[in-house]
Amino acid sequence: MRPRWRKVLSDLIDNKARTILVVFSIAVGVFAIGVIAGAYVIISQDMGVSYAANNPSNIEIRLDDFDHDLLNTIRHFKGVKDAEARRVFKLSLRSPGETRWTSVDVVAVEDFQENAINLLKPISGAAEPHKEQILLERDVLEDIHASPGQILELQLLDGTIKEIQVAGIVQDASTGAIDFLSPPLAYITMDSLKFFDEPDLFNRLFVTVASGQDDEEHIRSMLADLKDKIEKNGFNVGRTFISKTHQHPLESTINAVLGILMALGVLIVFLSSSLIANTLSALLNQHLRHIGVMKLIGGRDQIIFRMYLVLLLAFGLLALLIAIPAGGQGAYALAQYIADKIGFSLLGYRIVPLSFVIQVAVGLLVPLVSGFIPVISGSRVTVQKALDGVRTQSSGGEDQETLEGGYRFEHFQVKATRALADRGIRIPRQLLISLRNTFRQRGRLLLTLFTLTMGGAIFISVFNVRITLHDYVQKIGNYFLADVTLDFERPYRLEEIEQYAYQDPRVIHVEGWAYATAEILLPDGSTAENITLLAPPAESDLVSPMLIEGRWLRPTDKKKLAISEGVYDYYPDLRAGDSIPLKIDGKEELWEVVGVFKFIGLEGVIGYAPYEYISREKNLANRSYSYRIVIQDHDRAAQDAMAKDLDAYFRAQGFHVLEATPGLSTLDSAAESLDILITFLLIMALLTATVGSMGLAGTMSMNVLERTREIGIMRAIGATDLEILRMVIVEGLLIGLLSFVLSMILAIPFTYLLSAIVSNAIFATPITVIFTPLGYLIWLGLVVVLSSLASILPAHNAARLTIREVLAYE
Amino acid sequence: MTDPTSPLIEINSVTKYYHTTAGAFPALQGIDLAIYPGEFLGVVGKSGAGKSTLLNMITGVDRFSSGEVQAHTNGKSISLSQLSENELTLWRGRTMGVVYQSFQLLPMLNLIHNVMMPMDMSGLYQPVKSRQRALELLKMVELADHVDKYPSQISGGQQQRVAIARALANDPPLIVADEPTGSLDSVTADHVFEIFQHLVDEGRTIVMVTHDEGLLPLFSRYVTITDGQLTGEGGQP
Ligand SMILES: Nc1ncnc2c1ncn2[C@@H]1O[C@H](COP(=O)(O)OP(=O)(O)OP(=O)(O)O)[C@@H](O)[C@H]1O
Ligand SMILES: [Mg+2]
Repeated sequence: MRPRWRKVLSDLIDNKARTILVVFSIAVGVFAIGVIAGAYVIISQDMGVSYAANNPSNIEIRLDDFDHDLLNTIRHFKGVKDAEARRVFKLSLRSPGETRWTSVDVVAVEDFQENAINLLKPISGAAEPHKEQILLERDVLEDIHASPGQILELQLLDGTIKEIQVAGIVQDASTGAIDFLSPPLAYITMDSLKFFDEPDLFNRLFVTVASGQDDEEHIRSMLADLKDKIEKNGFNVGRTFISKTHQHPLESTINAVLGILMALGVLIVFLSSSLIANTLSALLNQHLRHIGVMKLIGGRDQIIFRMYLVLLLAFGLLALLIAIPAGGQGAYALAQYIADKIGFSLLGYRIVPLSFVIQVAVGLLVPLVSGFIPVISGSRVTVQKALDGVRTQSSGGEDQETLEGGYRFEHFQVKATRALADRGIRIPRQLLISLRNTFRQRGRLLLTLFTLTMGGAIFISVFNVRITLHDYVQKIGNYFLADVTLDFERPYRLEEIEQYAYQDPRVIHVEGWAYATAEILLPDGSTAENITLLAPPAESDLVSPMLIEGRWLRPTDKKKLAISEGVYDYYPDLRAGDSIPLKIDGKEELWEVVGVFKFIGLEGVIGYAPYEYISREKNLANRSYSYRIVIQDHDRAAQDAMAKDLDAYFRAQGFHVLEATPGLSTLDSAAESLDILITFLLIMALLTATVGSMGLAGTMSMNVLERTREIGIMRAIGATDLEILRMVIVEGLLIGLLSFVLSMILAIPFTYLLSAIVSNAIFATPITVIFTPLGYLIWLGLVVVLSSLASILPAHNAARLTIREVLAYE
Repeated sequence: MTDPTSPLIEINSVTKYYHTTAGAFPALQGIDLAIYPGEFLGVVGKSGAGKSTLLNMITGVDRFSSGEVQAHTNGKSISLSQLSENELTLWRGRTMGVVYQSFQLLPMLNLIHNVMMPMDMSGLYQPVKSRQRALELLKMVELADHVDKYPSQISGGQQQRVAIARALANDPPLIVADEPTGSLDSVTADHVFEIFQHLVDEGRTIVMVTHDEGLLPLFSRYVTITDGQLTGEGGQP
């Protein structure tokens, strides 16, 4: 090997700690980018393909019970490719011996062989249930421990408990995909319906369109036509959903989340570059004499420049060696995690060429870009300066600029110490030395502070965003304040339900609600979107809306509603007092919007109108299908118990109970999906914190290394190991605490920015930011620990050297 | 080198100012000096007299403030002030070997690689050839048994001999040495001088700086420098 490359190799190998530091700081950024870019590509390729592979319905219509006549009509409708009908009903399941019931939606499928829409993918056991057997969607397994062949208990609406055998486990990537909050699914054959006391009729239609399967406009207009057709046949249409074939309904949400992660990944790369720049300029400082020597014996700028360029590339290549395999694995693991949570499957492990290329580019460019300036200036230095640099360095390691800075600081320090001493405060000499040392290498200090501050600010912001999101979910909870919702199969009179409910001393309030479904029409008369109209009594305390404008309901309101902000998608300039066209029970009407309120944008548009008006229109005055019940304790356990008891009690009294749902259950699943996002954000925050503390560790070891001689002299004149250790640790702590103060400030804009991006991605609405001390406290603790740790090792190394070694150190 | 009466290096009215916060400091004032092929020229003077500064003007390690240094090496005449930093570096690497009091070896390379380095930098020798040559040079300075050792594993005198071997790597006509025996004991120093004497006998030109007047008899000629000016000359030109 030529001597020059031998030197580069030695530079790489001899100072292993430094090489590892540089390589890892490059690798962290490359890894983060690789994971996110890879997951992004895998998900965007597989999510659509996997979704399409199960032949998802483009249109789902929930309606009254119907039979083959209507199904055949729909099948022959122009533009329909395929149509299937199913019956979906609710059921409670549990393993024998468990006390808690899990609510599932049971889907009765006419013919598993002929099934062509919303295909099921077998996971284990049989792919089809026999009569009086059940297939479980694998989501059910999160709540119930079950395997094929096992017997489960089920509870029918009249309270009867029966046993049923699990035929197998399947994955249904389509049916639940549209509805984030839907319960887990189970499947039976139509001839099992009798066993469940259900009529042998359908209540849902799943349709694929013949053309324009990815054309939302077309699907929407097909839906409108189908609804007309169904209503003309005398059926009432409930909720409807549409979906493109090749686009998972949650794809844009997932992409938005990955976009946020990507932005953080880029930031990590950015931070690690500043860390590398720091390390490399220190390295070139240490190498100044070597550069001088090489120039002395005929090494031209280009040769030296090339040598260091190769060193940089070697750092990059080593980092890639770690980051590319780890990043590839990480990308797949992340994609797998998301796929599991969302319910689609990946096409298999693979190397994503795009993310490979990005990683290689980042891994090689980052060291080149951040090392370019130090290397250029290092290779341009004159021999005289290079050899001189050593001369001044050995007598203190400071160049002219930092010397002046040092003097200025010394001056300030003397004044400050005197001022304090006049007031009887004495700063320990040790602390003064640490303080002075901290400010000796100002460029390096700034870069370190920058990295650590950014890491801290992001860390703190993530905690704030977490609280902000949870607070928003809590506020959304203000739309669901009842402790238990009791739904019946037929309407009952309010007095009747009250009379029975108040038998239980825990019940303190009972309210009957009404419902209606409607379509929002665009000005041209076409359907914009289906909305659910909830109709609580106007004076109800069980809804505490976040009004954006206008007012809430009044008992006297007629054809008036409060509507969620999703309406702005269709009527962006809507003001309270304006009217919008609605189609209700097949009639087009103009309704006045009395108020607009905040809600989860992704859940579509919902509206509220007073019970007083809706119930009369539905001929249900003083009667209701659905009751809201308030009890003394509002925690989840009390709600669960109450729901169970009410369910049992009303059934026992001969009421036809559909289900009793505890109030917080909806919120819990919403909060759960938020936690996934928060987990990702926290991982990113930890990565940035890692880069930050690696920066600090690097800086501290460089500082100590450059002062090795000085430390030797201090020890030669009697400083103990402990004193030296303390001096270095205090210096590290000072940097850490300084960065903490800066992080606290920077976290404010970061929190606002991150909250805005995240809430737009998942709620499609801006939210009110909340701050929590938690992130600040944890980061403070971390900074103290990290900065002590980051300085202990170099300090320990320095204290360990014998005086002879130190004085011989160049 | 062929004609001992025409100089190898000509220094004409060279001055050098150092710019310090206290103002411009004249380290060299109007130096005129010719270095002839084959001579062993000593530059003597007290500490701070300007000896190292003068050497730096010859090696091109530092720039003079006015005057000119002309080199007549390898059949060409060059004015150093006309050369760029890079050209100076290349020229220095090919035409002179520099030896410092503080050895200036690269600590991460073993002896043989240290000696090979100038050949690698100048591109004058093929890698295989340069290894052979480095071995021969190390043999000449009696370090053939230590070629795989690192500078920190050998004594100061041995390190200086490595530095001399390295200075000879590109077979330069001129060797420039700044207090090469400054950090060595007298026995070791004598050994270094023997090597220098041997090189002079071979026909090489050596310029050596020292503050030790006891060394004067060794030189074929010497100049004395005091406060940046040449104040005396001795020996047979
Ligand atoms: N970089 C510099 N900046 C300012 N003054 C300098 C610089 N280098 C040398 N000097 C001054 O120039 C004068 C000559 O220095 P030089 O190093 O040439 O002396 P020297 O004769 O080699 O001394 P010594 O025997 O101690 O090595 C001295 O007074 C020195 O202080
Ligand atoms: Mg000198």
